[in-house]
Amino acid sequence: MKTKSKIGTIIKHEYLSKIKSKGFIIGTILAPVGIIVIYGIIILVAVMSADQTTKKLAIVDYTERIGAMLVERDTSKFFLTDLTEAELNEKVLTGEIDGYLVMPADFAEKGAATVYTSGGGGLGFVTLIERNTKDIIVNLRLDEIGADESVKELVNRGISLSTMKVTQEGTQDDYSQVFAIMGYVMGFVIYGLMFTYGAFVMRGVIEEKANRIVEVLASSVKPFEIMMGKVIGIGAVGLTQVLFWIVLMGIFVSFGGSIAAGFMGTPDMATAGAEMQDQNAMIEMLNNISISPWLIVAFLFYFLAGYFIYSTLFAAVGSAVDQESDAAQLQIPVTLPIIIPIMFIANVMSNPDGTLAVVLSLIPFFTPILMIARIAATSVPIWQIALSVVLLAATFFACLYFAAKIYRIGILMYGKKPTFKDMVKWFKLAK
Amino acid sequence: MDIININSIKKTFGDYTAVDGVSFDVAQGTIFGLLGPNGAGKTTTIRMITNIIIPDEGKITIDGMKNGYDTQSLIGYLPEERGLYKKLKVIEQLKYFAQLKGVNAKDAEHTAMEWLVKLGAGGWENKKIQELSKGMQQKVQFIATILHDPKILILDEPFSGFDPINTEMLKSIILDMKSRGKTIILSTHVMSQVEQLCDDIVIINKGKIIVDGKVSEIKARYGEDTVIIEFDGDSSVIDEIADIKITDRSNHRIEFRLGANSPKASEILKDLVNKIDIIRFEKVQPSLHEIFITEVAKQKLGIKEATNEN
Repeated sequence: MKTKSKIGTIIKHEYLSKIKSKGFIIGTILAPVGIIVIYGIIILVAVMSADQTTKKLAIVDYTERIGAMLVERDTSKFFLTDLTEAELNEKVLTGEIDGYLVMPADFAEKGAATVYTSGGGGLGFVTLIERNTKDIIVNLRLDEIGADESVKELVNRGISLSTMKVTQEGTQDDYSQVFAIMGYVMGFVIYGLMFTYGAFVMRGVIEEKANRIVEVLASSVKPFEIMMGKVIGIGAVGLTQVLFWIVLMGIFVSFGGSIAAGFMGTPDMATAGAEMQDQNAMIEMLNNISISPWLIVAFLFYFLAGYFIYSTLFAAVGSAVDQESDAAQLQIPVTLPIIIPIMFIANVMSNPDGTLAVVLSLIPFFTPILMIARIAATSVPIWQIALSVVLLAATFFACLYFAAKIYRIGILMYGKKPTFKDMVKWFKLAK
Repeated sequence: MDIININSIKKTFGDYTAVDGVSFDVAQGTIFGLLGPNGAGKTTTIRMITNIIIPDEGKITIDGMKNGYDTQSLIGYLPEERGLYKKLKVIEQLKYFAQLKGVNAKDAEHTAMEWLVKLGAGGWENKKIQELSKGMQQKVQFIATILHDPKILILDEPFSGFDPINTEMLKSIILDMKSRGKTIILSTHVMSQVEQLCDDIVIINKGKIIVDGKVSEIKARYGEDTVIIEFDGDSSVIDEIADIKITDRSNHRIEFRLGANSPKASEILKDLVNKIDIIRFEKVQPSLHEIFITEVAKQKLGIKEATNEN
């Protein structure tokens, strides 16, 4: 009777018991909700500060035409009035209106007008009036000199610098800054995931050892299967979480962007402030940059590769100690190579095609973080990616070989806190 | 028929030899006592039988097969240190362990529920392990050991943590398993339980077997060399008897073993009758407890005695 491998049972157990845990569900949902909430607050603050007020402004119009045009732009804020200035002062003082704007007859020519307020209102209020009237007056002046539509269009277009990237396929929109930010974000996310999930594996191994569960497991299954089952099961949990986030992000980018744009793009706010235009540009940019499927695949690959390398090492550390507090010192050699690339990521990103970036990103322990950052930021030559894949695979098998040996002996060793020397001894002991 | 053959197995950890050439056979359908002081090599021996570790030398055959991962499912192992996931529900735990032994989830759940009821633990299935008392956890662990209906049960201190009622229940379950043809290896320090349950025993010390055989034969080997006296009066007279070894002493009861040069039991009785008020005087075989202590002590003195004889 040949017993079939039980690794599937272990994977399933590890996966389900983790994925059903409250901590995981909360973490998975709260992380993006948190990000969305923060993003939402930023947008809201921008909108609110631009929209400043529900302030109403009466317009005393001696030009007999500009006032009407201004009211037309935003009927919720501006209205025409025939009241005298003394009557208006009264209304300002009683708070019935927030202020009034006097447009002299030569407003169009001289461009000078006066706003009377109770003193509140702030800069945003004045900018709001300025911005709105300026457009009108510029158009009026152009009309007067008989400029045709194309000239008007030209003047109103304003200035916007866009950068273009020259590639073999011709010029393309270059969003290199955005891509660099994306590189950073992806590198940091992989960093966080490797740490979090590596620690899950380590904690799981320690729990099984401390509670002597591993003795029962080892009397049923090969130690290698126990370790791999745990590594794969928890890795699957990580993959689930990341895929969930990617899908969520996809939804947010494709709908959220236009929702936010629509939200900010309501007529009365379209011209409401410079920061709003920046926001619009940002959203437009986000809409234009579709994160390529290839980048997502690369992200998932480097995440998993990094996870598998580090989680086997974390498993080895976990197997060596009796309790989590003993692991602190032993895990330094494992955590250090995760932290080092983060210290270099700024250097790498400042010149993602430079020699330093290429060399660092090809060191297998640094690859998951630095290579994905480079891939997001620049076009990494295929040979470098291929080489990194080969090196990662080789490193993984080396780590697995090493970790499995330590694990096999470590899980049965209790008592004194092990040193690196002990671990080397175990490594030799395991045939 | 022997279900387990252990042939001069040896295991060293670095400089330390945990098991040094141990051999014994376990007959099918018997209860076998694997005894020895702490650190004698019992757990290492059990771990080799369960294939958790592999002997450096020697051979273990289980049910006619060389032991390995394939023979693991024939064995149910209750380790001395209990191992359960604290946050897992009882039923999930039992299902998981049974599945690792190759039972399908549905059968495992069904059998587990039956056993929970049988052990007076019905209704616990959805409790988490950490909510259970030590004795309750013990029951869950025991059920986990037998869920895959193994031919061989290895129970390391199965009674620890149990009250007398649960101890009796477990004893009757073990005897019932035996009557169903299961083979049980029992490792315990409580010698009275060994006397009640075991057919054969080995006593291991410092990695080597020092006593081996049927419980009845081992006791017979020592003969009726033990005297139990219950009395009223001054027990100091007993200390004057030549070449006896007092093994148990309380206010009104003394147990001692006769040496080569001690007077015959009948002469001791004659002598004592006049000095103290004797309520009971009995000549018996030594208890397993006494044999255990004697044999382990003998090995400790082994080197000394050898030099004395020269």
